[in-house]
Amino acid sequence: MVIHKNIFKSIGFFLLVMFIVLFSLFPFLQMLSTSLKHSWDWGNPSLIPAQVNTSAYKELLNIGQDEKDLPESVRILLEETPDLTEAQKESIIAKFKDSGDIFPFMKYFRNSLAFATTAAFISLIIAIFGAYSISRMKYRGQKLIQRGVLFVYMVGGILLLIPLYKISVAIGLAGTEQGTVVSLLIIYMVQTLPVSLYMLGNTFRSIPFSIEEAAFVEGYTRIQTIWKIIIPLSLGALATVFVYSFMIAWNEYLFASVFLKSFKDLFTLPIALKALFVSKNAIWDRIMAASMLTAIPVVILFMLVQKYLAGNMSSGGVKE
Amino acid sequence: MQKHLTLEQKDARLGVKLVLPALSIILLLILYPVGYNIYLSFFDVTMTGQSTYIALENYTSVLSDPTFWKSVATTFTYVIFSTFGTTLFGLIVAMVMNKKFPLRWLVRSIILLPYVAPVISVVFAWQFFFDPVNGIFMHFMVDVLGIYDQRFNLIGSPSYAIWVAIIFSIWKSFPFTYLMLLSRLQTIDKNLYEAAEIDGCGPVRKFFSITLPELYFVMGSIVLLRFIWNFNKFEDIYLLTDNVKVLSIYTYFKAFTGNMDLGQGSALVVIQFGLLIGLILLYVKKVLKW
Repeated sequence: MVIHKNIFKSIGFFLLVMFIVLFSLFPFLQMLSTSLKHSWDWGNPSLIPAQVNTSAYKELLNIGQDEKDLPESVRILLEETPDLTEAQKESIIAKFKDSGDIFPFMKYFRNSLAFATTAAFISLIIAIFGAYSISRMKYRGQKLIQRGVLFVYMVGGILLLIPLYKISVAIGLAGTEQGTVVSLLIIYMVQTLPVSLYMLGNTFRSIPFSIEEAAFVEGYTRIQTIWKIIIPLSLGALATVFVYSFMIAWNEYLFASVFLKSFKDLFTLPIALKALFVSKNAIWDRIMAASMLTAIPVVILFMLVQKYLAGNMSSGGVKE
Repeated sequence: MQKHLTLEQKDARLGVKLVLPALSIILLLILYPVGYNIYLSFFDVTMTGQSTYIALENYTSVLSDPTFWKSVATTFTYVIFSTFGTTLFGLIVAMVMNKKFPLRWLVRSIILLPYVAPVISVVFAWQFFFDPVNGIFMHFMVDVLGIYDQRFNLIGSPSYAIWVAIIFSIWKSFPFTYLMLLSRLQTIDKNLYEAAEIDGCGPVRKFFSITLPELYFVMGSIVLLRFIWNFNKFEDIYLLTDNVKVLSIYTYFKAFTGNMDLGQGSALVVIQFGLLIGLILLYVKKVLKW
């Protein structure tokens, strides 16, 4: 009797685990499956493609597309004019490719990468000093700053969008490409800074003060201890904060959609993908392949810092 | 003594200097805009020319618009069900992951994926799943189970779309809830359970008498955070479907499409923020008992 009950219990438990895993993973399997299917296979409910089709990936990553997209006459011109330099050839190819119908995935990918890396890096530097200050030093208002940082949890993106847009239009930043880039970078920094401060503050507090004291005795200044002791001792946390900020900027849609509206060359992946989906129908394979390629960098980065991030999330230092 | 004091003062000054960049960015780009937003809400704002003061007119026209009240109702439905669902599912997952089983480490990292992946890249998979022509959901509902007579666009119909948005939200945010609850579960004293077992308590009794009370405050804070985040939620809904007009989306359309009424948009934001703060205060007093 007891054994039977245990078997049922284990099977039930196993099914529950399976359900949780499938529920979490299914959309990703769906994405992968559809990205590899031919259009005649989309309606087939099986997740395994009847015939693997990688053309969507090839098209997005621009593999083997150089020749295909060029008009016949241009290709002949390129082949039969030996005195063209490589640079000239490339510029000719680029010119004809741009006029084509392809979705410049790599360009948007680079834009996203540039935005996310820059924002995360600057935010990290500012947060290191800020977090050190609020967690290690004593002055009036220090506690207030420490708690006030959490207030930012309440202020969602939509609450800031209108005033920030109006301000950047008023001071003339929203009119130019450079200005838009600067405003967007600052906005991403602001979104990640509170969390970075909080997470790093917690880490710095966990470093024994005696180590720092020893350094002071040796004649180190505060700044020197930050560089030579605090930073080397919290590399894991720094990487985590960097990845975290990177993810926020990489995934951001709301601000990018408003600020970059009139600058198509600056589009980040989220707005470009949304635009692609709206503009053309029945290109599920390309949409899904683009989705996969957008998700992969973030997932890899996350896997690298997972241990730290999970720990930090559970101690409360996280924002959506 | 005098020298010691100056050293401390020096240190304090350095502390302020170090935090100043972070602090000024936060003040300048969060506190100031919130204030500026309240100011804008009393004006008829034009993008190019002058803004004119119109007192409460933005508020009266917003409040007298039935679509506004509809979006308030939609927001509440969305927030309540998604918060409740996320917490419940997160709790179940946390309890499962607290037990030992083979490959648990792998399962634990797989189930974080929904939280990590960019919204933009997962919404299309969900849309495909519910797609009337190609989607598996309609295949099962119509061809296999025969629950509906014919395939239809589930995400395209407002009355169904909100439930898709809620399930999507649960899927996207349960990992966060589960992680927070799991870390609290792991700190519960094992002796409590042993003592309860000696007293003859079953698993159900143990759950309600030990586990739940121990989790009460963590759960209270998670629910609060989830409530705040879902109340302000924009991307997860907007990118998934056009048919769930919660307040954030209603404001976005009002302020950034058509004739771009930033004044009314600001008024909407002020109302939304006021509503949020009111609800938070109520919650903190009643549930967290601060």
